[in-house]
Amino acid sequence: MKIACQEQLLPGATLQEKWAFATANGYEAIELRGKGDLSFRDRLPELRKAQADGVVMPTVCVDMLHFFGAFDPEQRADALVQMKSQLSVIAELGGLGAQTPASYGMFSRRLPPFEPPRDEAGDREVLLDGLRQLGEHAAAEGVELFLEPLNRYEDHMVNRLEQAVSLIEEVGLDSVRIGIDSYHMNIEEADPSAAIVAAAPYIGHVQLSDSNRLQPGAGHLDWAAFLGALDAIGYDRFLAVECRLSGDPVEAVRSIPAVVRRYV
Amino acid sequence: MTDRQATEVLLGNWTGHSTVPSHSLYPHQWSWDSAFIAIGLRHLSPRRAQIELESLLGSQWADGRIPHISFSPSVARDAYFPGPDFWQAITRGGVETSGIVQPPVHALAVWLTHQADPAESVRRNFLARVYPKLVAWHAYLRDHRDLGGHGLVAIVHPWESGMDNSPAWDEALARVEPAPLDSFTRRDTDHASNADRPTDLDYGRYVQLAATYRDHGYADARTPFAFALEDPCFNALLIASEHALASIAAELALDPAPHLSAAAELTKSLSSLFTDGIFRARDLKTGELVAADTIAGLVPLLVAELPEATELLATAQGPRFQLGKVHLVPSYDLTGPAFEPGRYWRGPSWFNTAWLIHRALSALDQPALAETLRQDFLTLATDTDFAEYVDPYTGEPRGARNFSWTAALALDLSCS
Repeated sequence: MKIACQEQLLPGATLQEKWAFATANGYEAIELRGKGDLSFRDRLPELRKAQADGVVMPTVCVDMLHFFGAFDPEQRADALVQMKSQLSVIAELGGLGAQTPASYGMFSRRLPPFEPPRDEAGDREVLLDGLRQLGEHAAAEGVELFLEPLNRYEDHMVNRLEQAVSLIEEVGLDSVRIGIDSYHMNIEEADPSAAIVAAAPYIGHVQLSDSNRLQPGAGHLDWAAFLGALDAIGYDRFLAVECRLSGDPVEAVRSIPAVVRRYV
Repeated sequence: MTDRQATEVLLGNWTGHSTVPSHSLYPHQWSWDSAFIAIGLRHLSPRRAQIELESLLGSQWADGRIPHISFSPSVARDAYFPGPDFWQAITRGGVETSGIVQPPVHALAVWLTHQADPAESVRRNFLARVYPKLVAWHAYLRDHRDLGGHGLVAIVHPWESGMDNSPAWDEALARVEPAPLDSFTRRDTDHASNADRPTDLDYGRYVQLAATYRDHGYADARTPFAFALEDPCFNALLIASEHALASIAAELALDPAPHLSAAAELTKSLSSLFTDGIFRARDLKTGELVAADTIAGLVPLLVAELPEATELLATAQGPRFQLGKVHLVPSYDLTGPAFEPGRYWRGPSWFNTAWLIHRALSALDQPALAETLRQDFLTLATDTDFAEYVDPYTGEPRGARNFSWTAALALDLSCS
């Protein structure tokens, strides 16, 4: 397994500067963030230059406020446009894929008004349609879409790995896999390690943050068991750090690879 | 690959606070299983290994005993026999348990678990919290179970040895009037072959012994024990655990001397069980050593500075156990009249006892023998899908698969 860091966490004005810091501190890749309005596509010259300079960028994580599971049809349609574009860009860079949740901050069944405007069957229909479109696009580009389950307060549709597996099995495309996130799993899974083993064939990407969403090592997640499970299933791709930082931010980012490497 | 497959077994058998030996055959928490499991689990997650042992100690009785089963409330009450309704034992904390015990390998497991990650151990105050409980456990054995007055602990049920169906118990068990066969329903044969398990008649005797103990409130002083033997394996593990307690005490800046002294006294007493090149169980009803040579008689190899070590090692390598020539270490004398290669503890090789002998061989500076045993262990564990036990001649798997201590100890040997 290789350790990646999301670009916004790394000090430096350019990807090249960030890469210099990352490699000096035990990281082996940078995870990009993909904003909306096709701005990720517009970064292509910058990304190509960085790639030519040796920066390794295997994945992109969407950085927008509307997603392919949105209630609003226009937002949904735009999210599909953005994600397809991000998949194409990451394919052009020779990467692995792009990560997105079904939604974020749109609705929670745990917060008022508790009942969403669309029923579960409606949610599923929308998600299956979106995953099919994105999966087919990803397959054509030779990359993968990573569906990320979020915790119950951030998304009401896909919270646990088994829910993602159910959708992916019905879509039936190898180009759609799960992008797991340790922070969300710590909230949602009865046993995160067992969930990893159960969903093993579908896991395509991994994001790391601790129980409190801070950098690995700053919370109480059992990293030995979590990373031990990933090793057990033979996961050999990237562990991308996506977290908030406590203490001095540069020192916090610097501290993470040693914490992870202890168990990997 | 051993590591990954073993890890998957341990992750699959984890229940949130402890590990079941096998979801099918043994769906609760077993005492010495948990100790062996922690020894492997410490490589996967030191925190889980600590929790495994802490949860077991959470079932400890007020008198200090660690019961051999801690029943899971989320498993059907009749999933295992004898279940909670048979034992009728509940701790002050409300945990339903059995009333008998298993070999005291726990302090050794605690010390090894601590050593796997001392920082995590200190952070969780692991040693300081479990040390008094381990001391109480050993005190129970010393104060209530020296039934023969020889300075050795006696077992009062074959299951307490952990080697339930060993030929060493045959003679003593034959004196027990069996419980009527229609008075209970076995569940152990639901998932395992009848040919591998104890006979119905013996099972009736097991039930009767347990019922008598239960009906006397599990009070050692009041129970008319029909079965009481000094088992060399049980006592050897107590000695190893006293040495571990001495290390734990020193780590906690407490006095290790009482533990070292207890270990020395037990070691001296253990010598009285040595005959014909091996340790044998003493039947307290007859006062005689039982003429059946089992793996229990080799386990004292583990005892530090054992006076009989050279002779005992020769026995292990001789015709009775053929160490290095057959798979692992047979549970019973290969030349003995009761030998059966597939029947529970009457010949097959177990992985936990092989691990103990491997540890002993390493300590005795026998690297070649230890490495041969280790390689055999790792190959067999993987090839048999972590079987409960194997035929010593063919390596054919028997009993449960994905058995937790087989996976755990494979992980430990793989990491060593």
